[in-house]
Amino acid sequence: MKIRVQRSGGFAGLQAGTDVDTDSLPKEESQQLKELVDSSSFFELPPVIKSRNPIPDRFSYRITVESQGHEHTVEASEAELPEKLRPLVQRLDAMRRSKRR
Amino acid sequence: MTEQLRGQRLGMTGSKTMALQGMLFAGPKPAQQKTRLIYTADNSVALPGRDVRSEGAPPSGDQTVNEAYDGSGATYDFYQKGYGRNSVDGKGMRLDSTVHYERGYDNAFWNGRQMVYGDGDEDLPPGERVFNRFTVALDVIGHELTHGVTQFEASLVYWDQPGALNESLSDVFGSLVKQMSLNQTASQADWIIGKGLFTARVNAKGIRSMKDPGTAYDDPLLNGKDPQPAHMRDYVNTSEDNGGVHLNSGIPNRAFYLTAAEIGGHAWERAGHIWYVALCDKLGSRSDFRHAARMTKQVAAKLYGPGSAEAKAVQKAWTKVGIKI
Repeated sequence: MKIRVQRSGGFAGLQAGTDVDTDSLPKEESQQLKELVDSSSFFELPPVIKSRNPIPDRFSYRITVESQGHEHTVEASEAELPEKLRPLVQRLDAMRRSKRR
Repeated sequence: MTEQLRGQRLGMTGSKTMALQGMLFAGPKPAQQKTRLIYTADNSVALPGRDVRSEGAPPSGDQTVNEAYDGSGATYDFYQKGYGRNSVDGKGMRLDSTVHYERGYDNAFWNGRQMVYGDGDEDLPPGERVFNRFTVALDVIGHELTHGVTQFEASLVYWDQPGALNESLSDVFGSLVKQMSLNQTASQADWIIGKGLFTARVNAKGIRSMKDPGTAYDDPLLNGKDPQPAHMRDYVNTSEDNGGVHLNSGIPNRAFYLTAAEIGGHAWERAGHIWYVALCDKLGSRSDFRHAARMTKQVAAKLYGPGSAEAKAVQKAWTKVGIKI
């Protein structure tokens, strides 16, 4: 499974992204990520989850998951990010931050 | 905004303006009151959270709480002393701020009702941090509150050119809040937005440079160089960040800097006054850069005279960033 989270916007306007191939991860970590994708019902989420009036300085996300021949992309504003998707986004953000060491 | 107030704002002219405003707005019996309330989200995303310091209460043991309190106070004072404005809505609205939002949150925002600040990377060991807490920079606090002012005035939409203009107004007045608190002239100010927000391990002056957009940082930790354009020929067409609102704001930011530098003195007095009147009385939800250029020129001509140094400075500045009036 391949997971990509791209973040734009925020006060600093910086692009931040994380790409993960679960095959390259230790088994336990790989399993945890797959579970986070499953529990978000990712492939059933609408492709665009945004309000008509964006909130100043909040982040925008583009999340893509590729699994067993299926690929799905969800664009969501931070304020509209579905609660069940938040743990996956937080997990990938933690991976991105730990890579900056 | 009543017609009477509009008239007062536009009726103030020349160098006497500030003295007059001083008498009108900072008299012995202030009719306007600053009211602040600081909350903590305790690292959650629940807003507003738990209240930790109210107006007039002694300092907290938490530095972040005190920075949000002092910074929102300095921003209130700036708008009140500078332009006679009573808080974000002009009607004395209480200034609410929530600190310690989420964990590892590299951001701050105005959600339509209140300010919200993250702690940056302060949950990581010092050697791994890129961002400090977002209350560290006074201009960030001024920036967020100005999103509130814009919401109640021009109500600019947050995408494409109107969005970049919305961003730029927040940088302009955020920087002016800091300049007034330091009593700096246009030539003394650094015109950097978010100084101190990056840790010492990042090669950066800050997040953005209003004087030289595109030069605030250059570091692999931030994917390279500051990408802000300084001229219309480099305007960035993108679907990211609501049409690059934090990128293209570099163009009107520089127009403001050039105006202020040309006029000289305290930037909030004349350049800031022109931009403030345009924000309140001239700009609308779909205003683009050219409309902002025309309106600031029109306001400058009305306030200081059509052939005044101020009106000429405004025209010259917009021309220099590639926008014909």
